[in-house]
Amino acid sequence: MDRRTFIKATGAALLLAPALIKETLATREQSLVAVAEGTDYAVITRKAINAVGGMKRFVKHGDVVVVKPNMGWDRSVELAANTHPLVVRAVVEECLAAGAKKVKVFDNTCNDSRRCYVSSGVEAALKGMKGVECKHIETERFRKVTLNGSFLKEWELYDEALSADVYINVPVAKHHGLSKLTLGLKNIMGIMGGTRGYIHRNLDVALADVNAHMTKHLTIIDATRILTAHGPQGGNIADVKVLNKVIASTDTVAADAYATTLFGMKPADIPVTVAAYKRGLGEMNLDKIKVVKA
Amino acid sequence: MKLTTARICQLLFLALFLILFVQTEYRGRDEINAAVNAFFRADPLVLFSYLLAAKSWSWLLLPAALMTVATLALGRFFCGWICPLGTILDLLTPKNRKGSPIKALKGNFKYWLLLPLLTASLFNINLSGLLDPIAILLRALTFLLYPVLGLAGREGWVGLYRMIGERRDALAPAYSLIRDNLLPFRDTLYPLALLSAAILLGIIALERFETRNWCRNICPLGTLLGWLARFSPFSRVPQILCGDCGKCRETCPTGLDQNVLLKEECILCMECLQECPHERISFRPFLKLKGLGPLLPERRVLLGGMAGGLLLALPIRFRNPETQSRLLRPPGVRNEDDFLKKCVRCGECMKVCLKNALYPSVYQAGLEGIYTPLVIPRLGYCEYNCTLCGQVCPTGAIPLLPAETKRREVIGKAVFDKNHCLPFARKIDCIVCEEHCPIPEKAIRSRNVQVMGLDGHVRIVKEPYIVEEICNGCGICENVCPLETKAGVEVFAVKNRTPIAQLSVGQEAKESSMYK
Repeated sequence: MDRRTFIKATGAALLLAPALIKETLATREQSLVAVAEGTDYAVITRKAINAVGGMKRFVKHGDVVVVKPNMGWDRSVELAANTHPLVVRAVVEECLAAGAKKVKVFDNTCNDSRRCYVSSGVEAALKGMKGVECKHIETERFRKVTLNGSFLKEWELYDEALSADVYINVPVAKHHGLSKLTLGLKNIMGIMGGTRGYIHRNLDVALADVNAHMTKHLTIIDATRILTAHGPQGGNIADVKVLNKVIASTDTVAADAYATTLFGMKPADIPVTVAAYKRGLGEMNLDKIKVVKA
Repeated sequence: MKLTTARICQLLFLALFLILFVQTEYRGRDEINAAVNAFFRADPLVLFSYLLAAKSWSWLLLPAALMTVATLALGRFFCGWICPLGTILDLLTPKNRKGSPIKALKGNFKYWLLLPLLTASLFNINLSGLLDPIAILLRALTFLLYPVLGLAGREGWVGLYRMIGERRDALAPAYSLIRDNLLPFRDTLYPLALLSAAILLGIIALERFETRNWCRNICPLGTLLGWLARFSPFSRVPQILCGDCGKCRETCPTGLDQNVLLKEECILCMECLQECPHERISFRPFLKLKGLGPLLPERRVLLGGMAGGLLLALPIRFRNPETQSRLLRPPGVRNEDDFLKKCVRCGECMKVCLKNALYPSVYQAGLEGIYTPLVIPRLGYCEYNCTLCGQVCPTGAIPLLPAETKRREVIGKAVFDKNHCLPFARKIDCIVCEEHCPIPEKAIRSRNVQVMGLDGHVRIVKEPYIVEEICNGCGICENVCPLETKAGVEVFAVKNRTPIAQLSVGQEAKESSMYK
């Protein structure tokens, strides 16, 4: 080994070391992904939650919980652009049953938020539930947060998401024009303010930056029906495939990795998943993920 | 001010007007049952100018036809019992008047306004909305007063957050009650806001010189109703001031300037009936009418007014071609000329617009188009599933269309500006526009293109392109384009607004959510 090779090798080792250490730490506890299947969406949602330890594992008595579905589009339930209202409702009910003091449900929508809240069916599904808030975004509540990420140094995030005791991420699985799929990692955009379109120029890295900052205690992916093309808002029932599945995991990257297979793709095909995995936010190798049928 | 029957009726109609005004907004349902357009649909000035300009009938204006018949039968009761602007004037008129009547407004002044307006309508320029009292009131409310109310409400709420942060949530139920039922959903600034309010204030200021100054000397709707009232067999009796009393002269707000009742000015407020110390007065059918001048104003005024209308109709048609390329009309408006014949410029579509896409034209549509609505996509886009503007338009200038039809109506066509659009100009990915395009088949698509990046590296970039055949020009692409100021994609006006091709079957399927 000459000096040059030695320096190269040392350099490479130093560069790789953090990733390797994280790798070993991450593998200590194997990522668990629960998949429940059935036509009663409330039942399968509960099954999936119970298979990852039950809601009591995450929500303690008196907690304020944020349940963040995707309801960004003015599309009706069957068009698969938004999280299914029955899934959202079941998650909220579980939170309340576990002793949550308050459950807040919101999304920073793309279409007019009033229409989105109505068309998604979520507002109606939660109507009249005690201790549940389904409010529209109030722009003054966005807070500039230092992310120190690779692409985003700082960004405005929603204060209710930041201050919650428990944050539960409830995306719908669907196609996306730029990121190929939008799943748990991309659902974080719903707590971002400002000109969100800006991050499209480096979407994968930007999403890893924000996800690294936000703790998601639980990710529940709605795959009761998935949008296979013309995402993220679709609009054509022919693009929708009914799968009757709900996926739950504490590891968003693992949940996304598994959900990717439902579209006939590999986790490595999705740059957002890869970027988050490289950042050490979770596991994307399917053979290292433990999938249980709930 | 005494609470006479007419007063109570006035106040009720003013309250109705304000309630309907607030109701003219999306409140969680696709349809608005009752909107403030009811007042315009019952407005004979709107009816006459529509008939003259469009030269066709619209069932939307049936109430105005009924109002015309009622005025022929009873007289000018609209002004004394219904008109919300009249009520506001009655409420604000000063007790001790300092000025004396303005001479210039007397005589035939009002005919010099009404006749050109109606004649211009005949020559396809419908300007009546500019001077219609209800339109004036509604524009002042929509463009200035309501946004100010919203701003004050919201700023107060935001200010509270800055002071006490999340603890504000304790008060949230009370605020949301106000917000959901009274305040506008989002803050909007409108051009011509100050002008609109100034016109209303000017009308109120005229009260200093004479009671109901606007109503009896200027208002073209009042003039029209007054002219119709001359045929009415219903009148105050006696039609003259009694020689021994003359108290009516003080009480009457409009029609008893001289010794003889001016039939076309009497707004049937019946104040004189209440105040008469001798109980001599009655309102009843009475055929021997006095105090009626000739049926038509002098020939000089008649011909002059009509000539004025004709002269008006030509020069104000000038338009700057540069502004025409971005002159985008609300969805369903396919023909500019047809639109101008019907639009009353009331501003309701702009108030109700879900994403605040509609603004009053200042210069874009030329002098003839001032206050007509146009879409400014950079400020707001046309929401795909929304049909509210067509629902509230009182004359059908914006047609009422079912959602599946409205989605296909063409507002304009989007065009990329490659000097600005990121994938072209800076060779990086973006595709925010494609993501937001609401057409299920996507009127904005992208293809992977190998390009030389600005850093000299070859890379694959998604370059967007427009599928013009299915672009409806809703403008969401221009609205969400993440570039600062100028967008990289913009909607331009097109002459041919044939609806885009029928969408595929699935889209037409039931779209109601299971929770409706």
